[in-house]
Amino acid sequence: MTEILSAAPAPASPLRLFWREFRRNRLATAALAVTVALALLAAFAPLVAPQNPYDLAHLSLADARRPPGYLGTGGYVYLLGTDPQGRDLLSAILYGLRVSVEIGLAAGCIALTIGATFGVLAAYAGGWIETLIMRAVDLQLSFPAILLALVLAALLGQGKAQLVTALVAAQYAYFARTAYGAAAAERRKDYIEAAMATPLGAGRVVFRHLLPNCAPPLIVVATVQIASSISLEATLSFLGLGLPVTEPSLGMLISNGFPYMMSGRYWISVYPGLMLILLIMAINIVGDQVRDQLNPRLRR
Amino acid sequence: MLGFVVQRAFQAFVVMVVMSMIVFVGVYAVGNPVDIVIPPDATQAMRAEAIHRLGLDLPLWQQYGVFVWRLLHGDFGRSFVYNMPVLDLIGGRLPATLELVLISILFATGVGVSLGVYAGVRPSGLVAKSIMGLSILGFSVPSFWVGLILILTFAVSLGWLPAGGRGETVEVFGVPWSFLTLDGLGHIVLPALNLALFKMAMMIRLARAGTREAMLSDTVKFARAAGISEGTILRRHVLKLISIPIITVFGLELGSTVAFAVVTETIFSWPGIGKLIIDSIGVLDRPVMVAYLVLTALLFVMINFTVDLVFAAIDPRVRSGKTRT
Amino acid sequence: MTFIKVIGAVALSLVLLGTAGTVGAQTLTVGVRGGPESMDPDYSALGTHAEVAKHIFDTLVRADENLQIKPGLATSWKPIDAETWEFKLRKGVKFHDGSDFTAEDVKFSIARVPIVTGPTSTAVYVRRVKSVEIVDPYTVRIHTDGPAPALPYDFVRLFIVSAKAAKDYSTPETAAEGFNSGKATIGTGPFKFVSWEPKGDLVLERFDGYWGGAAPWKRVIRKEIPNDASRLAALKAGQVDLVNDVSSADYLQLAKDPQVDTFVGDSIYIMNLLLDQRPDVMPDVMPGVRAKDGSPLPKNPLTDRRVRQAFSMAIDRKTMVDVVLEGLGKPAKEGMPAGFFGFDSAVPDPVYDPAKAKALLAKAGYPDGFQIDLYCTSDRLPGDAAICQGLGQMLSVIGIDVNVRATSKTVYFPAQSRGEYSVSMNGWGTLTGEASYTLSSQMHTKDPGKGLGAYNRIHYSNPDLDALIERGSVELDENKRRAIFEKAMAMATADRVLIPIVQLQTVWAARKGMLTFTPRTDQDTLAYYIKPKG
Repeated sequence: MTEILSAAPAPASPLRLFWREFRRNRLATAALAVTVALALLAAFAPLVAPQNPYDLAHLSLADARRPPGYLGTGGYVYLLGTDPQGRDLLSAILYGLRVSVEIGLAAGCIALTIGATFGVLAAYAGGWIETLIMRAVDLQLSFPAILLALVLAALLGQGKAQLVTALVAAQYAYFARTAYGAAAAERRKDYIEAAMATPLGAGRVVFRHLLPNCAPPLIVVATVQIASSISLEATLSFLGLGLPVTEPSLGMLISNGFPYMMSGRYWISVYPGLMLILLIMAINIVGDQVRDQLNPRLRR
Repeated sequence: MLGFVVQRAFQAFVVMVVMSMIVFVGVYAVGNPVDIVIPPDATQAMRAEAIHRLGLDLPLWQQYGVFVWRLLHGDFGRSFVYNMPVLDLIGGRLPATLELVLISILFATGVGVSLGVYAGVRPSGLVAKSIMGLSILGFSVPSFWVGLILILTFAVSLGWLPAGGRGETVEVFGVPWSFLTLDGLGHIVLPALNLALFKMAMMIRLARAGTREAMLSDTVKFARAAGISEGTILRRHVLKLISIPIITVFGLELGSTVAFAVVTETIFSWPGIGKLIIDSIGVLDRPVMVAYLVLTALLFVMINFTVDLVFAAIDPRVRSGKTRT
Repeated sequence: MTFIKVIGAVALSLVLLGTAGTVGAQTLTVGVRGGPESMDPDYSALGTHAEVAKHIFDTLVRADENLQIKPGLATSWKPIDAETWEFKLRKGVKFHDGSDFTAEDVKFSIARVPIVTGPTSTAVYVRRVKSVEIVDPYTVRIHTDGPAPALPYDFVRLFIVSAKAAKDYSTPETAAEGFNSGKATIGTGPFKFVSWEPKGDLVLERFDGYWGGAAPWKRVIRKEIPNDASRLAALKAGQVDLVNDVSSADYLQLAKDPQVDTFVGDSIYIMNLLLDQRPDVMPDVMPGVRAKDGSPLPKNPLTDRRVRQAFSMAIDRKTMVDVVLEGLGKPAKEGMPAGFFGFDSAVPDPVYDPAKAKALLAKAGYPDGFQIDLYCTSDRLPGDAAICQGLGQMLSVIGIDVNVRATSKTVYFPAQSRGEYSVSMNGWGTLTGEASYTLSSQMHTKDPGKGLGAYNRIHYSNPDLDALIERGSVELDENKRRAIFEKAMAMATADRVLIPIVQLQTVWAARKGMLTFTPRTDQDTLAYYIKPKG
């Protein structure tokens, strides 16, 4: 499977052509719009949200667990209802989205950097370095990410930094494998061998040839991995191994609201859940389209 | 071929030794189980006594030595919490996980491949598009969320199926199985479905991609030209062509499904090893954590080893080490 | 365990299919939140562990549903001198294997406790025992190390095993095997052991020769279902007849459900706000209490009684019960539930008055308040994280900036015992039903030599209170002891040693009209006392 993923990258196509082709898929275009919109909402949550849900002085227990559309004591209508602390759920979701996106992006970007560095280094250096790195990567790939993240999250304890560390450790190997595949294919080409022989070779080879060749497959893997980081984070938080209750991501909101499902107060858990699914699906559809465009043969 | 087998077996052995060290050091380096298993009001003497009894007073390398020495005698030590041999604890729960994993992966493959082949044969139809939509959904929706919704819908609202637990079991050769009783089957439906969804989404994609490629192959073109019916083509040629990657993935995914079962077992209170590991992590029951991780690593190494051998048997180039697997 | 075996066995199992799955009418199936760690009753002191042991084994002294002590295998007991208790044993009691219960079994049972106990030590129940003297087969004398008036309370958790059956299974290596297999699981209790799977099902069968009369159920199955929603779903789906620990989120809805009976009972748990009393405020010693701009304060404000009173006054206990716990609790005024031995009913109810609380803060020199980090558990007791966040809101009203940090109990308790939390909140259960337990471990000055103040996490020290507690602990006269403890409890409450918030209540739910059940304060779900209806 990794073989297929890392095989022959697409010829670099100008951005405009790429966009024109992308726009032809209406579903993917809509998904892209949703992704961008959600990212903006997450970034500007403090400005957009009607309430700061974590400023205790502005919460009122009298408004706890009110259904969507309830007119609160402060004269404000809770569009999506409130949680057990009397928090506006819409605001809580926006802040939760922010936490989820933040963690997904942080984990994805750090894993991308570390993975790409290892992958290109292995391809470039060859010899025992290549063997060592790629053996380690293969070993880790044979181990499911969720298990690794689970154990690490449990060992490191609760908190954002610990969670990101666990996610990075669980995911960098995918990037390393992909970068290595693309870079190694290029590395074996004759012109690289020739360029390496010149004194100016090394840096130029890495930055002008190897890295750019890795970029397209890495972008595809990155979209998939960011989506899966967000999902993994939610899962870990749900299992009680992620973030503390008082710093909730979407996953934590779902988990906090779940006890109220049986008694019919569905909104506390369902709305954060729908937001999470919307986010992950949008990213995945965009990622799918990008993959198809970058390489029609690239299929899972 | 024998040389290849020996070489790969040796590699697998080295991997296991390295893994056991990483797991051991990782689990032992962080967190102090004494703080959790001993009540906070214990006197200093009681605390020291418990530390000694759990073997936590030895330096790390000696603890590892004791661990390996015991392991060579087939003993993974005793659970801190249950004071039971860890192997008994895991062995007692393994059948539950095995039956859950096998049923869900068989279901995922059966349904996923059928849907995928269909979507591959008629890629532009509405049905195919719905199938692909389903597969994206299956990929995207976190499995714990699906589990919650399944419980709410089928167990709480409709009351058709039980919400958790394993139900009635039947002992066969001293091992309890629940898929052999009606009650047990009822219990297994929801968790198995939950666990299967993600894998099914993957199987759909795999089968669709394979089918589309196969449909364009010369064999199929000739067969069509010869007037052989669609059904026969599918059965004789397409399924044959896509079966190899699917069997490979089936094998590889077997392992990762065991890992994913952690989430499903937790939600459905399924008494398997996944739930055991989550509970053990909660109380830092180190011997159970180490044993679970080492055994899972062993499972993966063995699956990879088998896959390597199968590939080598099929493709001689692999044996000479020219291509990577 | 191989698959080939399985395939080969399918045919056989199809035959078995017909016989499996029939459940008798006299079966009680209970869904419980937590279960035992072993079948050895002496392995763990956890409440859920003892709860199971009480089905199979008896104790010399037993606690009724309000935790007041009653005769069990001992018919009477009395101190015959300052350091000796004499227990008269019940005659004609049989073990499950048909053998007689005698003084030998008592002596054996006491001796094995410290040997086979696990990390959550049961040795505390026999720690005062110096030696056991058998006077005749139905009389034992317990010699203690000094006066031990609370010994009968300790013996509520002393399970009597059969000296004959457990003889070979009383070392740390053999106990689990012997008891988990059922070989040594021979008690005098109302039920016989059938099978048990850790974290799984426990199956019990009626013991017809029980001395207290045979149990109303032929068979009892206890299923461990830790998830609150799953447990309730199992009840609604008819998989279990009774569940314990219904979450407060479900209670109101459930009380209206025509297919379910609910039983509400008080628990032994009081949620307390704990305020560190160390006088020196070094930022590294007192993390989590500082001025609003983050700078260190000149001294620890929490040592000022007026600040503690202000905190207590800021808490709207009624809202806490009605809204946060959705009705499942009672406002608390002392560190243990009303009615327990040593509870002082003369103590006035706490008042809710945020304006006066603000004035008190100002008088203490903090007109603008200060900032605290409030730590609490999020997964130990029902509602703990919610109460904690509610507390944050209420304190913010009187001008205290609160950062609420709810964490897992596996993080919380070790950190709390290291003194890392200046302001924290957690539940405290008065397991024994009498005041010396709570006073001596939580409010006495920390003194490891005497084994006192082990849970005094706030470094509180008051010589007057210490003297009272120590006097009460050696007073053998019950009425005098009660008076001493009531005085100590009133003193501690007046000084706001800890700030009680609410007493938790627990709910059981059963299928409509199926059974009658009296909730117990210790929250035990004991099948023997559950009676079928009609």
